[in-house]
Amino acid sequence: MTRGAMPGDRAFSAGTANALELRGVTKTFGALSALVDVTITIGPGEKRAVLGSNGAGKTTLFNCITGDFLPSAGAIRFFGEDITSAPAHERIRRGLRRTYQISLLFAGLSVIDNVYLACKGVARGRFSLLRPSRREAVMESAEELVRTVRLEDSRDVKVSDLSYGQQRQLEIAMALSGAPRFILFDEPAAGLSPGERQDLVGILKGLPSHMGYIIIEHDMDVALQVSESVTMMHNGRIFKEGKPAEIEDDEEVQELYLGGGNA
Amino acid sequence: MRVNPAYWVAGAVLLILPAFASDFVLYQLFGWTFILGMIALSLMFLAGYGGMVSLAQMTVAGVAGYMVAIFGESAITDISQGWPWYVSIPLALLIAALFATATGWLADRTEGIYTIMITLAIAAAFFYFFNQNYVIFNGFSGFNGVLPPELFGVNWRDPIAFYYLTLFWAAAWYFGAIYVSRSPFGLALQGIRDNPRRMAALGYHVTAHKVAAYAVAAFPAAVGGILLTWQSAQISPGTAGIGPAIDILIVAVIGGIGHPVGAFIGAFIYVILKTFAIDLIVFVGLGSERFRLLIGLGFLAVVFWSPDGVLGLWEKLKRSRGLNPLLRKAGRRP
Amino acid sequence: MRRFAENHPWWLAAIATAAAILLYLIFAIWPDWLVQMLGKKKVFLNALFNGITLGALYFLVASGFTLIFGLMRNVNLAHGSLYLLGAYIGYSVAGWTGYWLLAFPAAFLIVGLFGIVLQVFVFRRMERQDLRQTLVTIGISIVLADIMLWVFGGDFLNIIPPTWLSGPMETILVTGVKRSSGDLIYLKYPLIRIVIFLASVAIGVAMWTLLNRTRIGMLIRAGVDDREMLSATGVRIQLVFAGVFAFGAGLAGIAGVVGGTFQSIAPGEDVRFLLASLVVVIVGGMGSITGAALGAVLIGISEQFGSVYFPTYSVVVTFMIMVLVLAFRPQGLLGRS
Repeated sequence: MTRGAMPGDRAFSAGTANALELRGVTKTFGALSALVDVTITIGPGEKRAVLGSNGAGKTTLFNCITGDFLPSAGAIRFFGEDITSAPAHERIRRGLRRTYQISLLFAGLSVIDNVYLACKGVARGRFSLLRPSRREAVMESAEELVRTVRLEDSRDVKVSDLSYGQQRQLEIAMALSGAPRFILFDEPAAGLSPGERQDLVGILKGLPSHMGYIIIEHDMDVALQVSESVTMMHNGRIFKEGKPAEIEDDEEVQELYLGGGNA
Repeated sequence: MRVNPAYWVAGAVLLILPAFASDFVLYQLFGWTFILGMIALSLMFLAGYGGMVSLAQMTVAGVAGYMVAIFGESAITDISQGWPWYVSIPLALLIAALFATATGWLADRTEGIYTIMITLAIAAAFFYFFNQNYVIFNGFSGFNGVLPPELFGVNWRDPIAFYYLTLFWAAAWYFGAIYVSRSPFGLALQGIRDNPRRMAALGYHVTAHKVAAYAVAAFPAAVGGILLTWQSAQISPGTAGIGPAIDILIVAVIGGIGHPVGAFIGAFIYVILKTFAIDLIVFVGLGSERFRLLIGLGFLAVVFWSPDGVLGLWEKLKRSRGLNPLLRKAGRRP
Repeated sequence: MRRFAENHPWWLAAIATAAAILLYLIFAIWPDWLVQMLGKKKVFLNALFNGITLGALYFLVASGFTLIFGLMRNVNLAHGSLYLLGAYIGYSVAGWTGYWLLAFPAAFLIVGLFGIVLQVFVFRRMERQDLRQTLVTIGISIVLADIMLWVFGGDFLNIIPPTWLSGPMETILVTGVKRSSGDLIYLKYPLIRIVIFLASVAIGVAMWTLLNRTRIGMLIRAGVDDREMLSATGVRIQLVFAGVFAFGAGLAGIAGVVGGTFQSIAPGEDVRFLLASLVVVIVGGMGSITGAALGAVLIGISEQFGSVYFPTYSVVVTFMIMVLVLAFRPQGLLGRS
């Protein structure tokens, strides 16, 4: 459990593990530094928003956590285990999920089929030629997730016929499948109408309290409503951390964020 | 579950057809349509659900046909083992499935468009192999006198009996394909078609699923191959040659690879053209051998103007008539 | 080359041993036990050289196929039809004018032009739709095959080479010793095949030089590696595409004349050469000219040796080569993964 843990470092012991810990994570692409010495600690069940203008390093941060990129320096721990260089699918098996800005859904299948596939990926009987019954455990959890993201009316609609907002909701359902322990939401509100944004806030607030997440969001309003703590990033560095209310009132943050021109 | 009334009509017509259709229509037109449809269904299953266009499905059918001739009875008594049908037929299906599995594994060694090239090469290699090998496959002339067993005292080559036999299997595979398409395996296959990387990220073994799909798809093709052998009472290298392999692709594409029914629609069009177009061509003043030209041009027209085949045309028509508001909404997309 | 030697010392040793044995088999006067084992040396040498010249022909066809695929990701299953079209054009032109040499530019130009038509009216209209392109080319090959059958009939035709090229040429290779006099017997080999082999090598080397030593070649290679980059540099990519397509098609046309001269022209040859191209590029590696050369010679030799030494299984030998390559090196011998 604690292989690679530094002796004497109490924060890295498994028993009281934080959900996610980043220590001095740095990522460079040639001469460009996308992340510089990022240290973040997220406790169990904590909901964190990461804010920052375009190019602040938010998506690179996600890619390092999910294993799409390996960090150039630093360490990442997930519930106490060192996952700094673990392959992506290994992280998924440990309960890490993410949503993507671009849709990666199965366009030719219906809503329920998409969620069912996502739930079935870590279950038995993936090669079965028999149709699942409505009472199969995996099917029940898929139905539950469809209700969670409020798509029950579109249960049998093909993904390619869904509206953009519905596709984003489905994306969340996919990320929630297979008992995740921690989720990374990459700009879930982008492209949504005001009404759909309120639905999204409702969905995120309805998640169980033990399920922590990080949400990257441009819409401050959404981000501050669904988070318990906020990290501001600027030019690949941590700029400020605090409670939503503190961040909202911080003049420096206001200036930087609104002055970034991308809010 | 509500059943589309079209199913009842089509089912009823097909069941009572022998009451008024001639032997030629039953045995040649419909028997052949159902057989070709089964083999094309095998391709549709791989291509439509799995995104893998295999040109080796006719070869799978051919292998099954050959195995029945070799293990069962034929006029080539030196080679044919003469084993009873309950041994030879399961053995033929098994060997065809193994062959298809190996083909799938080879074709999936590389990605995407290579599949069609590798399966074409495999189909061609086996055509030449059947042709050259006399010890097992009896070379150029193949096997004749390959007859179905007289099960239940029925002569299965009698037109009406053969019609019902092929209808039964066509219906079985048709509904089987529809059923499996909603099973975990079928859904995973469609997921792989839409987004293989995401499927891998969800924990699926993409290669194993694809290869397994070849094994599953082998069965309709193999049964089709056995029925085809019985229909003409013979099998030779030409049965599974390069031309027939491409014809199966044409059948599937003309019908539409989006739904299992497309395979049978395509097969019916192909059989009707092959049977009657020759008269038409001669009537226009061309030689009867211009059939390939007609098929080629028809195929080109379909691929150019309606890549989803006749089924695609039907959907377009429904959309333009506004029969289905949901589809009409989706129709905004190109 | 050096890195290959460092990374795969055993492979290098095996290849060197095979080359040494081959050189011995070619140049030595065979002792009796070898003759007993393999048959006459003349048969062996003929199979070898027939294999190499057949490989040269395969290379001419397959190099165009692999170039088009490498740059544009177009799987042109009508490539065999281009070969057959070139053969019939060469046959007609050589027949009308009486000049064999004229058949080559005529076939190159007309088939190349047809290639441009294909590129503009089919492939450009269906960019990034691999499957549809492939299906269309299958349709085109069916239509072309029937039109050619209609126009030229189903007989076997031959393009007759000029007299100065016909007949055998004595080579420096010894096939045996005359028992009566002790004189050496030298291998006689058809001059036309030697000329065609040399011409193919020349074309291959020219292509390699063009691709590796000129600006246009650099553009094409850059496009093979990264098509987005090529269009981003402002190169008129469609012009490059059309040019490469024309060149690849023209090569298939020339190959048709070659094949019509030392083999024969008949319906069905289109499929045969399409399949040969497929197997050659699968074995050699997609998009690689050197790979096409290696694959072509390998397949040509295996076909000829197969038909001499194991006549019933010659296809199986070729097929097994393809299977082995796919199993152990799916990107092809010289393809990049």
